[in-house]
Amino acid sequence: MDERDLINRVRAGDDSAERALYDAHVDRVYRLAYRLAGDEALAQDFTQETFIRAFEKLDTFRGDSALSTWLHTITTTVVLNGLRKVKRFHRREADLEAADGVSGGRRESEPDLKVRMRDAIDALPQGYRTVFVMHDIEGFTHEEIGVALGVETGTSKAQLSRARAKLRESLADFRGEWIA
Amino acid sequence: MMMDNDDNKFDQWLQDAAKTYNAPPGPAPREAMWAQIQVERALGARRVVVRRSWVRWGLAAAAVLLVGIGIGRGTMVPERDTTGNALVYQLAATQYLSRTETFLTGFRADLRAGRVDAFPGQARDLLATTRLLLDSPAADDPRMQALLEDLELVLVQISQMEAGRDRRNADLITQDMDQRNVLPKLRSAIPAGPVPVRTQGAT
Repeated sequence: MDERDLINRVRAGDDSAERALYDAHVDRVYRLAYRLAGDEALAQDFTQETFIRAFEKLDTFRGDSALSTWLHTITTTVVLNGLRKVKRFHRREADLEAADGVSGGRRESEPDLKVRMRDAIDALPQGYRTVFVMHDIEGFTHEEIGVALGVETGTSKAQLSRARAKLRESLADFRGEWIA
Repeated sequence: MMMDNDDNKFDQWLQDAAKTYNAPPGPAPREAMWAQIQVERALGARRVVVRRSWVRWGLAAAAVLLVGIGIGRGTMVPERDTTGNALVYQLAATQYLSRTETFLTGFRADLRAGRVDAFPGQARDLLATTRLLLDSPAADDPRMQALLEDLELVLVQISQMEAGRDRRNADLITQDMDQRNVLPKLRSAIPAGPVPVRTQGAT
């Protein structure tokens, strides 16, 4: 079915069209939410929130971009705002742990590439990390990222370049693997 | 040139190696998320309706409060440590507790007589108010919060009863209420007077 027809049917209150729209986009939205959140429960919450907002605001979708791009804009907004709240909560928890003398252990001592990669990407500034995850891992174009994050395409490219440079520094131990 | 080659190799290696970063463990749980979306949207729509009636209720409570204060001016003043807003919430909470106490007492009595059909609908109305109160300053008091949470649990169970076909569940609900001492706690939380005021000069 044509996307425009589907949107019109959802606007007219057709429940089956809502479900069809959800089915068409949920996998990509969930994957993006999971990649950015790194937690199953959070990814589910963020995905649900994305679709709740999308159905509420579908009347405001003007069709200037693809529906998927519009949905990914909502997804990144929901995820990044949600993660800020989670981060504040974790910071409070960490403060309490520090006050109790409890330590979570240092990740840096773990030699495994997978763990080092995770730590290095997690340590990127939020903007760099988001662009890196969307472009290099999830395969979004710079144009799509620009729309989703509300930045110029050039900004997306610059942030990706800086993200890669930082990762290259952080993962210098593994140089033997990429020059091989 | 060598640098460019290195960069390209690194970018390629990075893209491959980064695929493991926060990789979802399986496909999206479509059905579970869809069900939750439906619940949230239904609750959201109801919250809007309830919030409107809550506003009316709050205004009515405030009006009652102002009339009470007007009548008692010169002889009665609000408690020193209680703000006007807190009084409105307190009054709203008192009215809610009274309604819930009446409802649960009626539920137990009618259950014995085998009449439970009307209860799920009423429980849903009270449940919406319970959740609003849980989100309001009325729940700042830990005892009130615990009571509201107990009531929420009971009301959820009653609201999910199927009319006329759920006698066994109804018995379990009343057993649960007894175990948690819900009605005695509810009755002791309802103050004797509807508006907390104090005679001027009293200690």
